[in-house]
Amino acid sequence: MSAFAFAFPAVLTTLVLLPVIWWLLRLTPPKPQAEVFPPFAILASILKREETPAQSPWWLTLLRMLMAAAVVFAIADPVFNPRTNTLASSGPLALVVDNTWASATDWQSRVDTATTLIDDAESRNVPIALVLTAERQHDAVPVDAATARTRLAAAEPRPLLADRTAAIASLRTALDGAAPGTLAFISDGMAGGETDETVAALQGLSPADLRLIEGDGAAAVAITAAVNGADALTVALTRLDGGPARSLPLTAYDSRSRPIATGTASFAAGATTTTGTITAPFELRNDFARISIDGLANAGGAYLLDDGFRRRRVAFLSGEVVDASQPLLSPLHYINRALAPYADLIEPNVADLSIAIPQILEQNPSVLIMADIGRLPEDVQSEVQRWIEAGGMLIRFAGPRLAAAPGDDPLVPVVLRKGERALGGALSWSEPQPLSAYPSNSPFFGMRAPQDILIKRQVLAEPTPDLAERTWASLADGTPLVTTGPLGSGRIVLFHISAETGWSNLPLSGDFVEMLRRTVQLSRGGGVSAEGGQATTGLPPYRLMTANGTLAAATGEAKPLAAGDGSKVVASFDNPPGLYGSEDGYVAHNLFPPEHTIRPLVVPEGASILREPLAGKETWSLKPYLFTLAALLLILDCAIVLLIGGAFAAAARRVPRRGTTAAVLLALFAGALMAMPQQGHAADSKPGDETILSRLDTTHLAYVVTGESEVDRISERGLAGLTEFLTYRTTLEPGEPAGIDIEKDELALYPIIYWPVSATASMPSNAAISRIDAYMRNGGTVLFDTRDQYINLDGNATSPNTERLQAILANLDIPPLEPVPADHVLTKSFYLLANFPGRYAGSPLWVEAELDRAEDPSRPARAGDGVSPIMITGNDFAGAWAIDTNGMALLPTVPPDELQREHAFRSGVNIMMYMLTGNYKADQVHVPALLERLGQ
Amino acid sequence: MASVGQIVEPTPTRDVLSRAQARAALIPDCMVEAQRLANTVIAGWHGRRKRGIGENFWQFRPYVDGESLSRIDWRRSARDDHTYVRDREWEAAHTVWVWADLSPSMMYKSTFGTVSKESRALVIMLALAEILARSGERIGCPGIMEPIAARNAAERLATALMHNPATGGLPDTGMIRGSSDVVLIGDFLDPVQDVMARLGPLARRGLKGHVIEVADPAEETFPYTGRTEFTDPESGQKITAGRAETLKDDYARAYVARRETLAESLRHLGWSFVPHRTDRLASEALVAVHMYLSGMPAMRAERGR
Repeated sequence: MSAFAFAFPAVLTTLVLLPVIWWLLRLTPPKPQAEVFPPFAILASILKREETPAQSPWWLTLLRMLMAAAVVFAIADPVFNPRTNTLASSGPLALVVDNTWASATDWQSRVDTATTLIDDAESRNVPIALVLTAERQHDAVPVDAATARTRLAAAEPRPLLADRTAAIASLRTALDGAAPGTLAFISDGMAGGETDETVAALQGLSPADLRLIEGDGAAAVAITAAVNGADALTVALTRLDGGPARSLPLTAYDSRSRPIATGTASFAAGATTTTGTITAPFELRNDFARISIDGLANAGGAYLLDDGFRRRRVAFLSGEVVDASQPLLSPLHYINRALAPYADLIEPNVADLSIAIPQILEQNPSVLIMADIGRLPEDVQSEVQRWIEAGGMLIRFAGPRLAAAPGDDPLVPVVLRKGERALGGALSWSEPQPLSAYPSNSPFFGMRAPQDILIKRQVLAEPTPDLAERTWASLADGTPLVTTGPLGSGRIVLFHISAETGWSNLPLSGDFVEMLRRTVQLSRGGGVSAEGGQATTGLPPYRLMTANGTLAAATGEAKPLAAGDGSKVVASFDNPPGLYGSEDGYVAHNLFPPEHTIRPLVVPEGASILREPLAGKETWSLKPYLFTLAALLLILDCAIVLLIGGAFAAAARRVPRRGTTAAVLLALFAGALMAMPQQGHAADSKPGDETILSRLDTTHLAYVVTGESEVDRISERGLAGLTEFLTYRTTLEPGEPAGIDIEKDELALYPIIYWPVSATASMPSNAAISRIDAYMRNGGTVLFDTRDQYINLDGNATSPNTERLQAILANLDIPPLEPVPADHVLTKSFYLLANFPGRYAGSPLWVEAELDRAEDPSRPARAGDGVSPIMITGNDFAGAWAIDTNGMALLPTVPPDELQREHAFRSGVNIMMYMLTGNYKADQVHVPALLERLGQ
Repeated sequence: MASVGQIVEPTPTRDVLSRAQARAALIPDCMVEAQRLANTVIAGWHGRRKRGIGENFWQFRPYVDGESLSRIDWRRSARDDHTYVRDREWEAAHTVWVWADLSPSMMYKSTFGTVSKESRALVIMLALAEILARSGERIGCPGIMEPIAARNAAERLATALMHNPATGGLPDTGMIRGSSDVVLIGDFLDPVQDVMARLGPLARRGLKGHVIEVADPAEETFPYTGRTEFTDPESGQKITAGRAETLKDDYARAYVARRETLAESLRHLGWSFVPHRTDRLASEALVAVHMYLSGMPAMRAERGR
């Protein structure tokens, strides 16, 4: 079967027409370039009437040929990996589909493959026997295509291994001796067990045609173990085939599925197992709840961690009275300080042991530490013993009370001699003893051998045959220092020294911390209750893993997990992978036990099996791409023809700007760019930055664009006039006036905003007014100009502009206003002015009132702090300032008096100086006083 | 490929005026050479110290019988028993007629030129008017504006142009009287015989002429290639050249020959000829014609270049 074929190869014969098209295209002359030419008469006198048709450019012809060829090829419908219906029609189609964990990643394409086969079977009119291998019940009775499709759609991958034996048996029963036509096995590629008979069993059904359909097996990677090491979490992985080297990212999630740490695992080429590490601080590793392989969403690629990783709950008891004022003498102080970073500590709040111990054991601790307790009350002792037998860990420290206790204490791992042994001292020849290296059966093995620890006093163990293997640490002379012994499923650990510094300096060393930490880590996580009933009933399913490797609520199919089985057996229908237990404590049951390996499916040599890849994603047609190419070429051809024909040139003539053609091309190019997927650039530039930067370079006068062209033109020209005046008369050289849209433009760039109030303009929105409010609050000033001084001469009615101003100001937080008083700094900031005329004279200029108005005749000017945020006039400043490009005034003043215009300009200068210098000018009045104070 | 040349909209006169004033600011005041003005020894608003036609008061003289009654100055006559006539001082400024061709062929601008020919012609005309008005000459525009001697003659000429859009072709020259200077600005692309048939009578009437030929660079260099369809902006005729680049040499020869012929014919009349291209500065043509008006003979050697 070819990997490439045409659906309609006959259409390709039309390709022979291409040279003809070429010949035709080359003959047609292009449209001439139209040119206006004034010296036409001269040209006409020399031009001979000749019409040799220029040929169209070869590349244009080539383009059109390509277009034609693309269409021809598209109609011929080239297909990659075409599939044909080769189903045997001698019997029913038997479909064996693996819906195991390894099929979850590409489940959809498996379903597509199966659907295709069902379609084929439907067209051949044969029934279909569909059986899914990872199901508890199998129903392999041949059914019609519609039912098979429904069942297939309902099927979903399971986080389990395949049970193919049962599936094939069911299929055999359902076929009842009849040979199937085509038997298609859509496999996950894994062998079922040590000796895999699947293929042989399938051949035993004697199908007319046996097909084995497999994926690429890349998804079949599973985590089999996770071990919390000293400084990293080690994860063991296995994969199906020893293919090329492969590196897989690992992610650890906490109990709320938040990724908190990452690592990698790398398979060497050809290797089927490997280990990866996730390096993270110990405290962080405590929070790991799940590890998964990134990009492989299936149950094998996820590994659940249970409370074995969690912080242990540690309870401790002391025989002596805790003296809070002298903590360094208390053994619990050292234990507390050593374990606090690694464990949750429980302390009894009563001193009475018979009350304190049941109280503590109710809280299900993992570890119970008893420092120098010689003998427990009888009933409490049996309770503690029961607790240890149920899995608890008891750590005891020696001390004077333990040394004095009778020798029949059951809660010690070794038999102790009565009394303690003192090393060194006035009556002894022996010296204080250091520790020897830790034996290899000890959890302390691997720690640096302690050098500077000296034991001065200890309790001694009676020698027994098993003393050596019960010893985790011993002194240099061989006497045991830390001994241990199991009790039921629990353990007792005895430190032969006290936990304070009286007997040794070990509690002061870092080894003490590490020894305690390692010991506590050995205890069973999740707490141990003294009841011990779970061992018989098993743990109920709490959270179960889905085939995609995520956790979901438990379903009814799962059965309780026998205690202790969690890490030893392969998950089954009864115990699918998940968390078993309750919210308080649970055990993780993973798909694979440690050291498990997965093996590829065994296919006997010489078997007549047709191997196929998963279809669905493989077959694809070139047709849409070719049509798209042809359409794009057509658009390109149209653009070129238009360009040659001068269509864009005509547009360029209408728009009197050069480079319109380039602009059109740029627009096309930009459109093409936008059609492409956007690349995410982390640029911090925003649209409008250019404008802001240009505005920041120089001061700009600004006016509010009212939307009425005449008002805006006068505003613009007026501020241009004031700008020119300022440039000419003062050191302030503002830039071009800026028209701003208060709805959206940035206002903070302008010291003052001129607002010609117009009743016929649209009312600004509330958002715009609140922006103005914020602008004024931040130090900006708005100069409102109602331009209505002479509009209503009767003087008692408000003009429409004033009404509009009142409507605007109603929403603004404005200070009390007053007409500019004679001693206001505005009257002196540049020119000495008595009034502020514009095109009209007479309207006062209102500014913020200064409430603490102290009449001080010695101060010629006064100013509040800061600048008035608002100014209101009716004199039409902009009308007086407005000039045309030749510098001539646009509007006459009322009355026509050029001196009034000069004063209007001076008013503008004073306002601008007031804006930009604030009350600095007012402070000038202090200059004489300052000079006098300096003695000048 | 975009067209090389295009037809442009007529330029707004106000716009041209400000440009012309900017150009004129570069040129010194033009005092038209006094020698060549036979009867206007003193140009401008310097009176001739004798009675005559003018605007300024010269004297009152007693009324002589026979004179028109309308000339009596009744205000003066009321002071006493005599009847007086107001005489004015004879002022004779030189008159310069300026004219720019605004026919459709001038509304042309190629990608090589900076402005259209019409725009350039208007700029030169108004700048000339500005310079001449500064010197007190009388400025007129045939068919559009009677000669005036005013400081703002350029503005008034611009206003007159705004109100009387020139349609093209040399207008009625009947209003040109006496010996004046005529400055003609245009492209003069018509056949030389036609042009000379119109200019000849003017020269015979004693007018001194200065011709500025404004040409677009594309008209001179003929930068067309490939199949090109040429259109006449005046008549709308079309002609198609299969390979325009082959015509370039022939065309350039014909074009230069026409210009040489025109320059030669004008020199026979004693007129000056200034060729100008729109990709050059307008000041160049302005300075050249300013030289001629000021009577710099050194320039004559280059005439018709």
